[in-house]
Amino acid sequence: MPTIKKYDAIVIGGGHNGLTAAAYLARAGKEVLVLERRYVLGGAAVTEEVFPGFKFSVCSYVVSLLKANIIRELMLPKFGLELLPLESTFTPLENDYLIRTADPDETYREMYRHSPRDAETYTRFGPLMGQIGMAVRPILETIPPNAIRPSFPDLSAMKKLLNHFKTLSDEQFEYLTKLMTMSSADFLDEWFEFEPLKATMAASGIIGTFMGPRSPGSAYVMLHHYMGDIDGSFRAWGFQRGGTGAVSMAIARSAEHFGAKIMTEAPVEKVIVKNGRAVGVALENGDEYKADKVISGLDPKLSFLKMVDETDLPNDFVTDIKNFRIRGSSGKVNLALDVLPEFTCLPGNGPHLRGAISISPDFDYIEKAYDDAKYGNFSEAPYIDIIIPSVLDPEMAPPGKHVMSCFVQYAPYNIKGGWNDQKREDFGDAVINALARYAPNIKEIILHRQVLTPADIESTFGMTEGNIFHGELTLQQLFALRPAVKWANYKTPITNYYQCGSGTHPGGGITGSPGEMAAKKILKDW
Amino acid sequence: MSYKNQFMAHTQLILSPFFERTTKLNESQEWRRWSGYLAATNYELTHENEYFAIRTKAALLDITPLYKYIISGSDAQQFLDRLVTRNIGICKVGQVMYTPWCDEDGKQIDDGTVQRLANDKFRITSAEPNLEWIEQNAAGMNLTISDDSKTTAALALQGPNSRAILNSIASDSLDSLKFFWMMNTQFHDISVTISRTGYTGDLGYEIWMDPKDALSVWDLLMDKGKSYGITPTGLQALDMARIEAGLILLDVDYISARHAIIEPRKSSPYELGLGWAVKMKKKDFIGKKALKAELLRGPKWNLVGIEIEWEGLENLYRDAGLAPGLPSTAWRTSTPLYHGDEQVGYATSGCWSPILKRYIALAHVKSEFSQLGSKLKFELKVEHFRKLTPAKVVNTPFFDPERKRSCPQ
Amino acid sequence: MVHYDIIVVGGGLNSLVTASILGKSGKKVLVLEAKDQVGGMAVTAEFAPKYKCNMLNDTVKWIDPRVMKQLDLVSQGLELVSPDVVRIALDQSGQHILFHQDPNQTAKSIANHSDKDAKAWQAFATYIDNLSQFLEKLYELTPPKLPDLGLKEVLSLRSMLKPIKKHGTRGLVDFMRVVPMMMPELMDEWFESELLRGAVSTAGINHITLGPFSAATGYNLLHQHVHANGVFHHAQFVKGGTENLANALLRSAVANGVEVRRNAVVHSINVANAVCSGITLNDEGIIEAKQVISGLDPHNTFINLVGPSELNPTFYTQLRNIKYRGSVARIHFALNGLPEIKGVKEDQMNTVFSISPSIEYLERAADDAKYGRIAEKPYIEFTFPSVSNSDFAPKRKHVLSATLQYAPYHLRGQHWSDDLKEQLRNNVIKTLENYIPKISSMIEYTSVLSPKDLEDKFGLTEGNLNHGEMTLDQFFFMRPTISSAQYKSPIENLYLCGPGTHPGGGLHGANGYNAAYQIIK
Repeated sequence: MPTIKKYDAIVIGGGHNGLTAAAYLARAGKEVLVLERRYVLGGAAVTEEVFPGFKFSVCSYVVSLLKANIIRELMLPKFGLELLPLESTFTPLENDYLIRTADPDETYREMYRHSPRDAETYTRFGPLMGQIGMAVRPILETIPPNAIRPSFPDLSAMKKLLNHFKTLSDEQFEYLTKLMTMSSADFLDEWFEFEPLKATMAASGIIGTFMGPRSPGSAYVMLHHYMGDIDGSFRAWGFQRGGTGAVSMAIARSAEHFGAKIMTEAPVEKVIVKNGRAVGVALENGDEYKADKVISGLDPKLSFLKMVDETDLPNDFVTDIKNFRIRGSSGKVNLALDVLPEFTCLPGNGPHLRGAISISPDFDYIEKAYDDAKYGNFSEAPYIDIIIPSVLDPEMAPPGKHVMSCFVQYAPYNIKGGWNDQKREDFGDAVINALARYAPNIKEIILHRQVLTPADIESTFGMTEGNIFHGELTLQQLFALRPAVKWANYKTPITNYYQCGSGTHPGGGITGSPGEMAAKKILKDW
Repeated sequence: MSYKNQFMAHTQLILSPFFERTTKLNESQEWRRWSGYLAATNYELTHENEYFAIRTKAALLDITPLYKYIISGSDAQQFLDRLVTRNIGICKVGQVMYTPWCDEDGKQIDDGTVQRLANDKFRITSAEPNLEWIEQNAAGMNLTISDDSKTTAALALQGPNSRAILNSIASDSLDSLKFFWMMNTQFHDISVTISRTGYTGDLGYEIWMDPKDALSVWDLLMDKGKSYGITPTGLQALDMARIEAGLILLDVDYISARHAIIEPRKSSPYELGLGWAVKMKKKDFIGKKALKAELLRGPKWNLVGIEIEWEGLENLYRDAGLAPGLPSTAWRTSTPLYHGDEQVGYATSGCWSPILKRYIALAHVKSEFSQLGSKLKFELKVEHFRKLTPAKVVNTPFFDPERKRSCPQ
Repeated sequence: MVHYDIIVVGGGLNSLVTASILGKSGKKVLVLEAKDQVGGMAVTAEFAPKYKCNMLNDTVKWIDPRVMKQLDLVSQGLELVSPDVVRIALDQSGQHILFHQDPNQTAKSIANHSDKDAKAWQAFATYIDNLSQFLEKLYELTPPKLPDLGLKEVLSLRSMLKPIKKHGTRGLVDFMRVVPMMMPELMDEWFESELLRGAVSTAGINHITLGPFSAATGYNLLHQHVHANGVFHHAQFVKGGTENLANALLRSAVANGVEVRRNAVVHSINVANAVCSGITLNDEGIIEAKQVISGLDPHNTFINLVGPSELNPTFYTQLRNIKYRGSVARIHFALNGLPEIKGVKEDQMNTVFSISPSIEYLERAADDAKYGRIAEKPYIEFTFPSVSNSDFAPKRKHVLSATLQYAPYHLRGQHWSDDLKEQLRNNVIKTLENYIPKISSMIEYTSVLSPKDLEDKFGLTEGNLNHGEMTLDQFFFMRPTISSAQYKSPIENLYLCGPGTHPGGGLHGANGYNAAYQIIK
């Protein structure tokens, strides 16, 4: 059993949060080793050439939430970060469509066509959400306290937050409360009347979540996604040139620039715990690496129920982690296309293909899709969020050809009878059929298709139940309770064992935030 | 190639029913956005002729982009009295009233005119869309609200010769039409409504018509107006004229309370110099309680006219070895105003008035420094360096000709 | 003309509580009830010749002990009876789960389905009891005005944290965890038996429009167990019918000098320049008062009686956004005898029965409502009030009163017609037949109260029994709106005391109690 060398810190998992944590630690002068199980870096933020010549952001597909300070501090543009803006949000309908573009006048006019009142309200809604986002940001940037036995810094951080809340206007506070508690459908019903608009906006409240637009709590997830709109003007969502994997690669290069060492195809078997302290890791091949700190970028279930022995953890903590909800609800269908799809309601090429295409004609459509999943089936007619990366970045596909990324809900991990090859294909067919309702030529233009069920996402990317957020974003799983009370501050019951994945505050999405905050906490503790 | 394809903007902007004419006349091809429309900035390469047309001849402006709403029904007057701050009860059929309206905190949302078209029918114009606000506050009332923005086209004919031009076309004489009144008449076989209103502070009229008649009306006016010096006029000249007239502009001189986001950005009518338009004696209206309280304690700010004094300006430029640099167009950048070392306000729009030969501006000034004659210092940049130059609070309108209100004897 | 200090609009339970307390404090109080009977939702009446029923509620979950004490309701004749078996969750094969006062007994009944669950029961009951104690404290408070909280308000909220002494900060954390939960999440942490999971989850959906898969049904579950003294599914019957709760309150009010007028229909609450001056009666004209308190729901109070043009636009928007969406219907059957239910002894018939075989069953019933249909297989909770009140039915005959979910007020493509009510009745009978096979042959008369009927007959907007949904966005400082959560409305001298205020619905009187003291203050 050869022991090679002792590092200051070892990060388990080369996902974007693990890499971010590694980069920050390395930047602070620590000697860091990142161990990635797969042959590629990025975790869920990965680009792979699935079919010859066709490259896919296999899992996560758009970037907006990546924090500006991380981009600055880790100098990511220098290492290849390049976001291509999405031009529009397009909702095809049976005989009509809704398209929102970057131009406020055009969007106003388009919305006016459907509802004059909505057109007007929309101009107030965006800034209000911006204000709410501003109100939430200090929470997102606070290391969650130990709610059972708060430390002195915890208390002063809480006092700061309380004072912050006192500065909010009545309106901000009212809407913040509503966003934390309501369903996205109810919240949007208070503002808008045109169903396709509401359904499309509400759709961001269900992404990565096992909830329907009418489920209370979905408004918060919508706000979580709305954060992407805050720094930029309209819809700061963007597509990374070269695919989402290039974001991870940029962070990885930055980490390496600061001196971190990154190993791929180095699956970690266990964290080595001695006398309640983490002292290193053992790889599946038997290699061991020693380190002062071990940081897990995996989800809480893997970090605590697989990487360490339950006996090294307190009982109540094990119960909390077992009770942590992490149901996968989404699938992904990646298509290689011969030509561009043709939408019946808006034929031809145009800005509507260079943005996000949302199959979300009304609340009932999404809600029925959710009902299917609630009772253990994939959605017959699913909600689909589509982008066609090759129209933004031609290098994603061979000349003239295209790649299309379809994020699909719902596909429950715990499907009745379990996932198998037949079900995977049936699921893929359901997605194609749903697309064909609006773009009938889709069936003829598919050259290859890759269908990822939550079970595939779990087995490929190592995310428990295929949950893309490492744990649902429900109220009882946020902030000081994410992933468990007392241990929401990136520490764990095992000394020198830390966590930095999306299962920690402030949660999922390509934000880099858990990684950054964990690194800062670790450096503070050092 | 159709005219529409001259601009890539055709997918994004609305073209007014007059566009077919205005685009051919627009030599400069300078356009601005106005409420989602493409609107001429100036027709000639400079706006000077257009400005002087307003003040000495007749200027023709396409004002179709104004938002217009028709409110009709037995509760229409009661509703408007709840909505706006002026007393609509005393507005007679055929009369027009300029009025602001506020939210419940007495902060101004917009300003515009209310035309009483019939006993229970009104048209209200506004700078921003107000349909949502109007509908929301009409709950429980017997009335209908319709968006008239696209169903009525409008032109402004402004300037000393405007009456003569209209008299040469209309089937009725405009001689007895008083300031802020309106009448229905015919241009040959075309029905139009003419109001004696405008945004220039001069003798002038606004002509309201069915969009299908737009080009005929335009052609008639241009044709008959030729001998009176009628000039198609853009927004740049208008901006100077409205500053001279002391008229405020939404989103330039103040921000709608509906969009302000933060409190300090909001203004009450008292703070905008529109206290005269707030009628405390009428029954409850939106914002009354807050406005009453403000009236009692006095507004914190005042929107006033200021004049930047010539001598100081000349001296500053002389020190730099230059003749005084004057803006050729109206500006809209917020500019600090000082009293001693303390900033006590900011000017929001201003211009050199060619007709008055005065450098004038509209400014928000803290009340204690806003009385007539109050001495302030205006910040300006001379050769890249910030300087302060004396300015003082003066009366508005800066320019207020007799002909604006008078009728021929 | 007589001048009153206070006019209370509506003669419901909370109105009577407020009136009585204010009368006791020396105010001259007038209560105006539109109908010929006070009590609002606590009404007992004949629904068929010689058959009586409790119109809306058969049981009282809890009454605010402060109300009991302050108004001495026991000496005013209120008698509450709690059977040993508080609820029976029916099982088609007869393996019912009996919820006893004694959790050990309940556990025994659960053991028929799962040993594991039976072992966990005692701990679960204690867990819920502990957590509801946090609500008990919260319910005694007037919600603070947020976000600008003064030191005084913060200090006044201190009592909320008292249960920490007993249950530790972990207790508070568990409270915060459970409140936003949905039923399957809570159940996954405790139980495996489908029947038990369904039976427990009914507490989470009681009288609300959402299904058990909705976040914050955890809150509703705790709400049902406030002052339950550790008894899960706690239930009390008012001796002689629920109306006796109203009668006791009425006696207390009258004894405290309150004038109560019945058949007094309020036409408007008079407001000018945002100040309330009194009310106008349909028949008798204007009555002035220093203060007006409304026990009606916010919609009736402000939109219908004050009128939108007297409301400021923000408040009006907030009012319009209150969610009511009633989806509870009541059915009373006059039966020619007491039916036999397999596995239930005759002396256990004086309890609450629930048809809730699984969480999924409940959720599917809610799904129907989501799409604007009545539930084909509804969740039904029923009692035989005639078992303990012999005067409710002729000799040997009986009454079955059922509350069912979901029957949405807002329907799609149909309206609340007699046909639809007939369909609803059939759905109920079909469901009941699974447990009482002979039921349909026993029915002599049926009375169906749809949410529309609840609105028309009881003045409940959209038929919501809680005067507004019991969801987290309409909780505490958000109830009924953020601008009127202190029982005081934005209109001067106009107050609220109904279930539309904190702490929400139920026959507990806490709203009226809190409102009265807020007004005295």
